[in-house]
Amino acid sequence: MSVVASTLTEKAFADRRRREWEELNALTIKAQRGLAKLEAEDVVRISPLYRSICADLAAAQAARYSAPLVDYLLGLTAAAHTVVYGPHARGREDGRKGPLRHAWLVAFPRAVRRFKREMLLAAALFFVPFALGCLLTLRDPTFAFRVVPEAMLRPLTDAYAQGFDAGREAGEGALMAGFYVYNNVGIALRCFALGIFGGLGSAFYLVQNGLSIGAVLGYVGSQGAGENIVVFIVGHGSLELGAIVLAGGSGLSIGWSLISPGPLSRLASLQKRAREILVVVAGSSVMLFMAAAIEAFWSGSSAPREVKLAVGGTLFLLVLAYVLLAGRGSDEPPGELS
Amino acid sequence: MAPLDTDVAIETPEHIVFHYRVAGPARRALAYVLDLFVCYGVVLLLGVVVILAAMGGGLETGDLGAAAKAGMGLVLLALFAAQWLYFVVWEALYGQSPGKMAVGLRVVTVSGRPIGWRAASLRNLLRAADLLPVGYVAGVVSMALSSRFQRLGDLVAGTMVVVPERARAARPLELRPPAAPRELASLPEHVALDPDERSAIELLLRRRHSLGAAREHELASMIAGPLGARLGYSHRDPARMLAIVYDRAVNAGRLEAPPSSWRPQARRKRSKKNASTTPPAPGAPE
Repeated sequence: MSVVASTLTEKAFADRRRREWEELNALTIKAQRGLAKLEAEDVVRISPLYRSICADLAAAQAARYSAPLVDYLLGLTAAAHTVVYGPHARGREDGRKGPLRHAWLVAFPRAVRRFKREMLLAAALFFVPFALGCLLTLRDPTFAFRVVPEAMLRPLTDAYAQGFDAGREAGEGALMAGFYVYNNVGIALRCFALGIFGGLGSAFYLVQNGLSIGAVLGYVGSQGAGENIVVFIVGHGSLELGAIVLAGGSGLSIGWSLISPGPLSRLASLQKRAREILVVVAGSSVMLFMAAAIEAFWSGSSAPREVKLAVGGTLFLLVLAYVLLAGRGSDEPPGELS
Repeated sequence: MAPLDTDVAIETPEHIVFHYRVAGPARRALAYVLDLFVCYGVVLLLGVVVILAAMGGGLETGDLGAAAKAGMGLVLLALFAAQWLYFVVWEALYGQSPGKMAVGLRVVTVSGRPIGWRAASLRNLLRAADLLPVGYVAGVVSMALSSRFQRLGDLVAGTMVVVPERARAARPLELRPPAAPRELASLPEHVALDPDERSAIELLLRRRHSLGAAREHELASMIAGPLGARLGYSHRDPARMLAIVYDRAVNAGRLEAPPSSWRPQARRKRSKKNASTTPPAPGAPE
């Protein structure tokens, strides 16, 4: 066809092909509102139409037809390209199981283990300042004021000193759940994102959060309500602190991929690592959503101390077992996780 | 459309190359501000509804009840969604947020494909880094240093923001009325126009209907004079002369209709407005 077309006048060429162009144009506009809106016969038409437009464009350029015609065909080709090569065209990369199930059962714990160096470093950057803040405050309670404002610490201490006999009413719980999601998930995501500055942003957030949480714990403990705050934290602590560490570790990981890109260019290394680590960030966000629900509706409830400790301990073991053991049986090589 | 240095060439698997114009900071900032209005507007609306409901409830019971607190929790959730989910969901599903739709921008991968959930998540998570230290300074610096105006999130996700341009279908230029034999008598068989001359004539002929007669004559003479001297051809109407020369240069030796398999199409949609320079094809009923 291109042989014939290139010897046609522009007008004859356009007259002959215009109907298909307009058909494809209408289809791309329809497809922009969602592929699901397309009829079966539309879907069947798009692919051959797209290919023939590509041929028309090549013919028009070779025949040196005028700029408006070529521009029109370029725009049409680009629009159809967007439809034909959309995300749906890539298919499911994760194979057998549904992508979400696969991410939860296999990809997330595996990615954590694959990048265990970064995760362990993140844990150290969080828990060492945590212990330090706690111990220093226990020795000298005024140390806490250097990390956390006194005006925030005092009411907090009073609240813990009261204990949980009154429980929390449901409305209060919902308010706190909203706050925990807004605050904690936000911190975790920021902690990951700022890892792009060579991991420094993540390290800063980890140390800062570890230190201040440790200081709060130590201060409340030094004021005689230590048992209450431990009972409060134990329920959601494993999920919440674990998730912050995982998000921070992911940030350290993208930072390190920039510093030490190996055989790739720095940009390619960063992009590759970000794709691989995203599942950990998503997983840690979900962990924080779960932690927010527990913290809001369970940790402050009037349930007996022993029950809270037992539930907290069980959750801790479950989280640990999940991260260490889940997804080990799968035969997929770990390199394919991205 | 002349290629500029803000154009990115995309080669499709069919080895067709087309160009996307990359969107700069100004357009993107505009789209961003619109998006802020949309998503925080919704949060604000929700907040107002909750406050009104709480005040209504408080009047009856005398205190701000559990429902009001739960409502505040909902507002905080909405705030979280506005900050972290709004862009991800829109861009993953439609390739553009409402603000980008309004400004006419689209997010694609650097190879020109639509983005999926992974790229949408990454580029919008990294917003937190682009925002630093204040007002997207990191993002703008990154855009200035990158050849595709990519902020940090775009670099990490391998995406860029483009301005998809859809040129309207323009009808080919036609010589109307067809050249009389007398007009063609002194015109050489082969007329060669260089690309600049060609596009200059094209632009003029396409704008003819919007120019006054005097202006048309003036502009046409500027090209027709040197061209006529070179070709040894003259015509009393310079615009008509350009149309004749253009027709000869572009269409000489080309077929008006393909040889065999072609049949005139029975019905044809007309999307063109300016029929003055481009009348319907012969034989095609309107």
